[in-house]
Amino acid sequence: MAYTVSFDWTSSIGEVVLGATKSEGGTRKISYRIGGGSTLPFLESLPSSPAPLIAFEVCDNPVFWSPIIRNYCGDLVNDVTGWAKTADSAYGADMVRLYLTSTRLRDFSDIPSVKKTVEAVLSATALPLIIEGSNEPKIDSEVFQACGEAGQGERLLLGTAEAGRYRSIAAAALAYNHSVLAQSPIDINLAKQLNILLREIGVQRDHIIIDPYTGALGYGFEYSYSAMERIRFSALKGDTDLAMPMICSAADSLTIKEVRDAEPALQDEIAVGWELFTGIAAATAGAEIICVRHPKTIPLLKAAFADMKKNPLSAMGVQ
Amino acid sequence: MALKALDIYKLLPKKNCKECGDPTCLTFAMKLAGGKADVDLCPYLSEEAKSVLGASTRPPIRLVKVGVGVRSFKVGEEFVLYRHDKTFYHPPGIVFRVKDTQPEDEIVAVTRRVRDETFTRVGSDLRFNGIAIENASRSPETFARAVATVEKVEAHLPPVLISRDPAALKAALVHCGGYRPLLHAATAQNFRELCALAKQHGCPLVIQATTLEGLVQLVKDCTAEGVQDLVLDPAPESLGAFVSRSTAIRQLAITRSVPELGYPVYLDTAANGQEDAALVLGITKYASVIVTSPPAPGPSKAALTLRQNIYTDPQKPIQMNPGLYRVGTPDKDAPVLMTVNFSLTFFTLQGYLESTRVPCFMLIVDTEGLSVLTAVAAGKLSEMLVRDSIKKFAVENEVSHRKLIIPGYASPLSGRIEDATGWKVLVGPRDAAEIGEFLHQEWKN
Repeated sequence: MAYTVSFDWTSSIGEVVLGATKSEGGTRKISYRIGGGSTLPFLESLPSSPAPLIAFEVCDNPVFWSPIIRNYCGDLVNDVTGWAKTADSAYGADMVRLYLTSTRLRDFSDIPSVKKTVEAVLSATALPLIIEGSNEPKIDSEVFQACGEAGQGERLLLGTAEAGRYRSIAAAALAYNHSVLAQSPIDINLAKQLNILLREIGVQRDHIIIDPYTGALGYGFEYSYSAMERIRFSALKGDTDLAMPMICSAADSLTIKEVRDAEPALQDEIAVGWELFTGIAAATAGAEIICVRHPKTIPLLKAAFADMKKNPLSAMGVQ
Repeated sequence: MALKALDIYKLLPKKNCKECGDPTCLTFAMKLAGGKADVDLCPYLSEEAKSVLGASTRPPIRLVKVGVGVRSFKVGEEFVLYRHDKTFYHPPGIVFRVKDTQPEDEIVAVTRRVRDETFTRVGSDLRFNGIAIENASRSPETFARAVATVEKVEAHLPPVLISRDPAALKAALVHCGGYRPLLHAATAQNFRELCALAKQHGCPLVIQATTLEGLVQLVKDCTAEGVQDLVLDPAPESLGAFVSRSTAIRQLAITRSVPELGYPVYLDTAANGQEDAALVLGITKYASVIVTSPPAPGPSKAALTLRQNIYTDPQKPIQMNPGLYRVGTPDKDAPVLMTVNFSLTFFTLQGYLESTRVPCFMLIVDTEGLSVLTAVAAGKLSEMLVRDSIKKFAVENEVSHRKLIIPGYASPLSGRIEDATGWKVLVGPRDAAEIGEFLHQEWKN
């Protein structure tokens, strides 16, 4: 006799396509179709449902980056194209997330350099890209326009849209067919509200990734974990305004006290431990893109996700 | 299926005699419905009512205690699949594994580590919970010797004895039979002998089967032998198998669809070679006893922190006592930073302030544990509260200046705070991570 585990789901997560191969009009070596889940994470009986993607975060001005990563990656951090290439060839990431930290310098105005950087990174790596633009409203419009244009045809994921500033990103995404990363401060209702705002100006549901914001482990991670579980739950119960794939970036992990103040010999190991535990836990709550900054976290996450995809519920006589 | 409070009330005597300790039968019924009271507290229930209520009001997952004394731990008695539905009550015991084939000094070192290691976070001491001794040698004598080695450390840690051989367990129980060890594991082959040992020593017993049907059958067999304190090991062959089986067990138990699955779950992280990943999944996905090789420092701290996070009650924000806190040894010219008494806000800001090495005061005001953003929105953070807090905690005696740094998200209040307090307000950053740069650039006396 088999036991029936019933959750009474009525709906599924919408799908979003990231990256475009040659036949899809881009130059990536692969594209990903994420979402589509119809039950809790890792309970899918469909072997085709993808494992969470691992995005490696790089930036074009390492002044804003953790010294732990600067030490570990060495000179690479000063060469964003080489760094992005290594993310693919040596680190084994599924995606590259480029932070245009150069735009965060005071009175930044060199917009042409933004376009050049994005183009250079696109030719350095064949992985699909996430681009993080400026965080200064005054230059948003020009920066996102430049990113969008440089990545035309590549189906980028552009970030980060927030309730107070989403128009520039949305405009660039709409003009060049990219997706939008929509961030809300750990609150299911605010996440929904932002998705509605984006929809109202024309961004389709299949072009939105939800970022419920990830607090570092020990610094509010439980709120993020529950926000993700609640978003997934609402989506499966039929709320189409929340039925988008989610992303988790625990970037704060590298600046919290436990990691920052660790004795030097242990610092890498503790940083990796923090990223690994956050990434796996977020995946069990429903995140489908996990961002990391330490290269050593990538193979560990990858192996874990591969094994978590093994042996679905159906294999044990449970329906 | 669970009964509603009113359905339960109909079965109660409605005398409001207070003998159960509750003021009325209705409040008692509400407690029963929430699994917070025992039917036996009511002396006037008919046998029939008792049997109806007993089955539906006892917690859907049995509470099981492992070990004795201060380091013992209780697991089970959980009610929900999602922590946001209520809370998770009993954090999993994380137990370090040693093998009886390891040298004695290694076994002693691991035991001491569990005994002594603590990690302090947000005012709590976090610790690992016990020692599992595995009968890798297959020899009862070697097993007993290893158990004796662990017990000689006098750590009083809850033991888990891993062997399917009744003779080996019997030999080991000579050394720790009185300490309520967890026995692992009863299977279809050995359950009679293991039940006899569990009964004789009053210990909890793990049963192991790879299917839910197999677990249910063993639960029936073992309870028929008289052992009630059971723990379920679904023996997952992959991380995915653990997530799916553990979730199925939790869901079938809390909905009372399969009451025989209403026991805590056991996870041995060694099964698939990814112990750290298994540890994460055990913590988030309903394991109650997790046996693992002693993790390296990074994963150790991450595991203890994750467990603390996941088992924090989401209904109660952790609060700090309002007051004036010092970072370093601030003098009369030191900056004063005001923020809310949500503990996460406090500890995050404190961490960044410590690293700026600028001695300062933190003025913590009582927003009932709300964060800055929500306290401003809900009107809990007001200029009156700030004014009263400055007075109450005698801030004017501590510093000679009258300048107050407020959180970026409280900027809508800046003018009103200036009017109410007479202090000059500086609006700080929204993100605590930027406080160091802010102080270095903006703080001038």
